[in-house]
Amino acid sequence: MEHGFIILFGLTMLYLASTSRIISHIRVLAVQGILLFLICFLGHREAPLLSLTFLTVETLVVKAIIIPWFLYKILRKTRENRDEEANIPHFYCLVISSIILLGCFLASNYYISSVKNISHIYFGIAAATIIISLWLITIKHKIVSNVIEFITMENGIFLMSLSVAKEMPVLVNLGVLLDVFIAVYILGLFVKEIKKEFKDLEVSNLSGLKDYTE
Amino acid sequence: MIDNVIKILMIFPLVLCVLMLMVRKRAFDKFALIFYSILHFILSSYLVFFAEKTGAKQVLSGQYFAVDSLNKIFLIILSFVFLAVTIYNIGYSRHMDRLNIKVNNKNLCLYELMIIVFVWAMTGAIFCTDLGIAWVLVEATTLSSAYLIYFNRTKNSIEAAWKYVFMCSIGIALAFVGIIFLNIASLDVNTLNYTKLTEAAQAGVFDTFWLKFAFVFILFGFGAKMGLAPMHFWLPDAHSESPSPVSALLSATLLNSAFLVILRVFNILNAANCSGYGRIMLAVTGFLSLFVTAVFIYHIKNYKRMLAYSSIENMGILAIGTALGGVGYLAVILHLIGHSLAKASFFLASGNILELYETKNIKSVKGLMRADKKTGWLWLLSFLAICAFPTSVLFISEFLIIKTLILKGHYLACSVFALLLTVIIYGMARAVIKMTYREISGEKQDIIEKNRNKITLSMYLPQVVMLAVVFVLGVYIPNFLNDIIQAAFGAF
Repeated sequence: MEHGFIILFGLTMLYLASTSRIISHIRVLAVQGILLFLICFLGHREAPLLSLTFLTVETLVVKAIIIPWFLYKILRKTRENRDEEANIPHFYCLVISSIILLGCFLASNYYISSVKNISHIYFGIAAATIIISLWLITIKHKIVSNVIEFITMENGIFLMSLSVAKEMPVLVNLGVLLDVFIAVYILGLFVKEIKKEFKDLEVSNLSGLKDYTE
Repeated sequence: MIDNVIKILMIFPLVLCVLMLMVRKRAFDKFALIFYSILHFILSSYLVFFAEKTGAKQVLSGQYFAVDSLNKIFLIILSFVFLAVTIYNIGYSRHMDRLNIKVNNKNLCLYELMIIVFVWAMTGAIFCTDLGIAWVLVEATTLSSAYLIYFNRTKNSIEAAWKYVFMCSIGIALAFVGIIFLNIASLDVNTLNYTKLTEAAQAGVFDTFWLKFAFVFILFGFGAKMGLAPMHFWLPDAHSESPSPVSALLSATLLNSAFLVILRVFNILNAANCSGYGRIMLAVTGFLSLFVTAVFIYHIKNYKRMLAYSSIENMGILAIGTALGGVGYLAVILHLIGHSLAKASFFLASGNILELYETKNIKSVKGLMRADKKTGWLWLLSFLAICAFPTSVLFISEFLIIKTLILKGHYLACSVFALLLTVIIYGMARAVIKMTYREISGEKQDIIEKNRNKITLSMYLPQVVMLAVVFVLGVYIPNFLNDIIQAAFGAF
């Protein structure tokens, strides 16, 4: 059952790569949050009750509700709805992301499946999510998009931590989620400040500090 | 007793922050910062110098926080620099209102609070015995210092803060991937505790392929935080745009706490008998850091950026020292002490210059000796300390590294090391000498006269003490400090 959700999770990354409306990116984040909650809940039923409850509730609340809601609020305030001028057209984005997804999936099927302790389907999709997110960060032009891809990367890392059969201590999971949440909060505040200072949210605005000019 | 002291150091600052949020008075905030720094120094000194000397590696073994021979040296450096910065801050914060009209009273309140949270997170990261918790606390240092970098509320400072948070968070996120790989590498051992991981590594339970893979991610992740090239891009921006006391803290203590985590993981690699690979990685990033600094330092127009690049260089030297091993470790410890104190002093002196001249441009600053003799001398002496002029303790550490390079037969590496250091020192000396001597222009004279009274005794004193320590340690290391250094050397 959870394998179906993991594949759906991988497909959300393709959707993210092929759309330009930021509001749909935020919806993808909420969907990813819910998928992670389901994967976590279905895949770790044998874990200790307390740690399972903490992890699943945290995932649902932070990743599926608070972060998307917070970004939605920022989007409404800044009125930046589209990120159209990415360096690469959407069609190619989709093709390249699909190749990354397929590559990671095959690689993990062939090479990782022999490794003890790792569930290869989790691992392949998680690695693909991290790579696609990092790649999207480099080609997108809007600051809000960068924040969204940062969160999808964190989701990928969370999925990767689930791929290992061994449990991370609850304290670590708690801390990681808290840190991610605060990081997103701070980045969100900065987005508002950047909007105030520069009038629009192009990444190219943030290139004033250089060594060869003053 | 030790356990309680650690608890106080970890819990008290949080209580203090809550109190500060409730009281919201400038006077109380300033008092709280000074009180915390003094308490931090006293308790850390107790832990480092007076707590039981058992000779064992682990003095106290709490579940998540402990003092051992390796983190003692990091703790005392943090504590000492924090105290010095706080004393400097007494004078500095009096004129903060004038620095920037955008900074209102509410933000000023958060300034002290965020410094306390920042130092708390660094202290936690140093005490930590668990890689997972260390990750959480190192990320917490990023988040708390982001506010401090954005403190001046200018276009440049928001750019610096954005780059800092974004790049460091991504770096640290990748370090977490490294931690997951380490978890995979440790096969049946389910722990992230350094000591247990080292024991498991000695017993040979590790899958070395995944361990090496984990080290790459951890080195690049925490290396981003430490300022090692090629992950250093945030560093010059963040250091140059933040208020000078914060720059001093960032450079002299934050980079060290990230380095400690890398050292701990390197020790695990060492125990698993695959340190050769880690050494190559460290040496490559180390030399790359020196190279990047040598390329950029010659053209830099902003003196605070120059100091930031010098930090990258010194982190590179630390990486190279660790890669060398043996006597290199001793060099690393001495370099760590020397760099932290000298660089903190350098940044604080640059704060005085910024107050006097109201510019960060090297070309606009002339005749520092005429403008303010004391700041001029501090600036010059800080430069001499950082460029390893004898009797600076950095001379000994760099000499030891060169000696080890020659003894191990790495002649080419040794010449490249010496050449890059010479280029860097020349680049810095050119700027420092130009700023220190020459005539002051007429318009600057008026600005300097206006600002002269801003610089109080507390803005000279910390630098004098730190520089005195750096220059004295080059010729004489007192017994109590020598014990700590030897213990840390043994813990590698």
